Order: sequence, then structure tokens, then C-alpha cells
Amino acid sequence: MAKEVFYSGCAAAAYGAKFSRVEVISSYPIRPYTGIMMELSKLVANGDLDAEFVHGEGEHAQVSIAYGASAAGARAYTGSSGVGVTYAMECYSPAAGGRLPCQMAIADRALDPPGDFGSEHTDVMSARDQGWIMGWAETPQEVFDNTIMYYRIGEDPRVMLPQFCCQDGYFVSHIPGKVILPDQKAVDEYLPPYNNPHPLDPTRPVSHGPQIFPDQGPAIDLQRAQAFLDTPKVIAEAVKDFNKQFGRKYSPFVEEYMTDDADIAFFIMGGHARTARFAVNHLRKKGVKAGMVKLRFVRPWPTEAVAEALSKFKAVGTIETSTSYGGAMRGGNLIHEVRASLYDLPKRPAVTSFMAGLGGEVVTLNEFYEMAKILTEAAKSGKVKKGVYWLGFEPD
Amino acid sequence: MSDFKFKIPKHLEVPMGAVIPAPVKENPGMITGNWRTERPVIDHEACTLCLNCFIFCPDACWHLDEKTEKMMWNARYCKGCMICVNECPADCLTPQNELDFPKGVVRLDKPF
Repeated sequence: MAKEVFYSGCAAAAYGAKFSRVEVISSYPIRPYTGIMMELSKLVANGDLDAEFVHGEGEHAQVSIAYGASAAGARAYTGSSGVGVTYAMECYSPAAGGRLPCQMAIADRALDPPGDFGSEHTDVMSARDQGWIMGWAETPQEVFDNTIMYYRIGEDPRVMLPQFCCQDGYFVSHIPGKVILPDQKAVDEYLPPYNNPHPLDPTRPVSHGPQIFPDQGPAIDLQRAQAFLDTPKVIAEAVKDFNKQFGRKYSPFVEEYMTDDADIAFFIMGGHARTARFAVNHLRKKGVKAGMVKLRFVRPWPTEAVAEALSKFKAVGTIETSTSYGGAMRGGNLIHEVRASLYDLPKRPAVTSFMAGLGGEVVTLNEFYEMAKILTEAAKSGKVKKGVYWLGFEPD
Repeated sequence: MSDFKFKIPKHLEVPMGAVIPAPVKENPGMITGNWRTERPVIDHEACTLCLNCFIFCPDACWHLDEKTEKMMWNARYCKGCMICVNECPADCLTPQNELDFPKGVVRLDKPF
């Protein structure tokens, strides 16, 4: 029977892995994601989860172990935070190019210098172009659900890609919330066992990651690109089945909140979406027609869904919790993709971006009100004054 | 978007994930033993056939010849890392400089 518990994002991820029946887990400590491995090691030690628990000698080894296990045919699970994520950077492309659907739980953390424990999306956003499926969760419940859903999506024979299952460090990973744990049988029905079509097997020797000729390079890149073109369809199916099986209400790519008659909208992903909801509620009471659009997948980027959701507004502000120093809009990453998604539309909203939550600072309600002021002005004039605002650090 | 398919010319096709049947045998187009400056030399009398060298060699350059019951070394792929020497519990492997051999790789104009 399903039961209701009170879990942090870390515990929710660990239990998501347990319910997914992961077979190999590789760990290396770095906070805040470490909580996930602490929980999993307890589950393995107590005999609640039958999995091989391997300690990597660093994050590079950790991800290598995970995709090696995936190559051998095991459902593999690993994770990291902050500089740990970037230390393993070399391993991401081989896992994706080898089409090995292991999963990496990310509780994100600001990168150095000089040393910051706060949540920021930049760590794993730097790996967004390596060929992994990637998305953020807003609550511990969504962390738990995404863990199971991502395995189903990544292991689909049409996809076969590894996944970054991300949550905001501390804001989600360490603040407990209500989590409904389903029946194991229901999860087993939803998530079939992992089937690697070409496992490492001494009786049928194969080479993984062989040397290829330069001419074959584009061909194999096209294969990966094709897999990403096919993935949205698989995501839509997997989310629909999940909602049916477990009685949830996830939209596959973007979730809209109070957007029906909205003039302005916050475009956001991850834990700060919770604050954004409250901000929208308060703004509505003051008569501001605000809404929120929450992004569920960064990779594959849901171009059509984003265009459809945002085209009805007059002004949109992307909330950037990651940096793209020297990028086209001089701020974050999301605005680049949002503007590109809207470019071909005959009528598009004014789009600006807000640098907020960097280094793990709390994005307060007041900041959202400030954003709403800027967006309302943009909605009136039909254009934005600037492509990026560093809230609280703007000259008067 | 998902209706779109890339067209890959047949001669450039690569299996999914570039996974191919293992060569099992050597690939003569890719000889890599000529990077070596020293090689492990085996004392067959002292060897206990524990197979540590076989297990630890990163290039699969040791194998057991079942007819002669001796460990055989592959000169064409050994890069001289000496991991086998380090791992040998019987101390039957010794590193020896390639210059000590009349046909050592450093003496060849065109190695192999």
C-alpha cells in the first residue's frame, strides 16, 4: 500500500532509487548530495535494498563505475554536487555516446571560488551539452517521482541515454516535504527491468567505445541527436503513464500556474518555483496579472512547449540560477534558449532575465515583486530595457 | 520535431553506442608496443601461474599457453608500464631496458 512520509529531497532521491531497484550504486562524498548516499548505504546495510555499493576514489571514478555497470547490464545510480559534478566532466560524453542509461542524482551547489555551499544551477548546467537528459525538481515528491520516471525514459530502447536528475541543494535536498511512497508492485509495473541490448559479457565479447574514423564522427553524433529528437515523445508517454499509475498531475515539459489570463510570467525551474507560486498569489491579490511557467526538462529542451506556453504573455522574465559569463544576454542560460524558442513566432512576448539565487542566496518574495514591476513596465511598452537584471545589485 | 530523421550514408553507419563485436584477435593496423622503453622479462622456473599478470595487464599482453603451461608475453602491444612486475607475488618478473635486446624497439628503424 502507498504510504505518506516526510522526507528531505535527499531521502526522496534515495527512496526513488530503491523503488527503481537500482543494482549498482557508486558514491563519493560531497555535500549536499551526500545525504542521498547516506540514506542508500543504510538501506543496503540493513538489507532493504539488494545493490552493489561501490566507493569511488573521486567523482571521475564514480561516474566511470556507474556507466561501466550500466555497460555490464546493471541499473546504475550515482550522484554529486558542485565541483564534484564538474570534476567528472570527462565521463559524461562517453556515457551518453555509449548510450548507457545510468542515472546521476544532482543536489546542485555553487562552484568555487572560494568555496560556497549554497545551491546554484551552474554546476550541472555546464554539462547540459554532453548528451544527458536533464531536469529539475521542485519538491521532494517530484524528486522521488523524477528518479523513477527518468529511468523509464532513459532506458527506453528509442532513447538509451543517461540522466541528470537534479534538485536544488538545501532548498529541496535538505528541507523535508510530504512524499507519497507508492506500492513497490506499482513501480515494478511502471518500470520494467533494464535491458542492455549489448552488455559486456565474456561469452559474447564486444568492444565499447572503440576508435572510429573521423568520417564516422558526424554519423555517430547524428545518432545521438536523433535520440534527442525521439526523446520528447517518450517523455510524453512516460509522464502520462506515470500520472495514470500513481495519480499525479505532472505536465511533461512545462507546468503552468495561473497563466490563463496572465500578462506577465516568471519562467523558472527547480525549488524557487515554490516561492514564485506564493509571489504569484500575492501579486494577483494586488491586481497584477502574473503567472508562472515551470520548466521540467532542460534537455531535451522542449522548444514547442515553451513557445506555446510563453506566446500568450506580454512579458516574460526568466529566473536564472546559473551563469553564462560573457554569453549573448550577459547573464544566465535559460534566456538564450527561451528567446531562440520564441524567435519564429509571429507575435512574441518581451523577454528579459533576472539573475537570482546565485551562490545559494534565497530568492525572496520582494525580489519577485521587483521582477513583476519590471515585467509590467515591459508589458506596457512592449519591449525590455535590458536583457538581464542583477536584482539587488542594480544601479539606482 | 520528432518526425524528423537524419539520413546517414550506409558506409558511415555506426552501431548504436558504437558497440562492436570485440576483435578477440590482434588488430595489425594498430600496433602499440613501440612506445616501450623497457619490458618485463619472466623467469618461468619461478612463475607459479597465479595469473596476476594476466588479470592486471591493462593491454591483455599476458596469456597462459595451455600446451606449454607457460605465461606468454605479447611484445606487439606491451607498453612497458610494469604493472605486472609490481603485481607479481612470485617475483618472477624483472624490468629490463629495451637497449639490452638486439631487436629491442628502440633499436629498430621501423618498429614492427
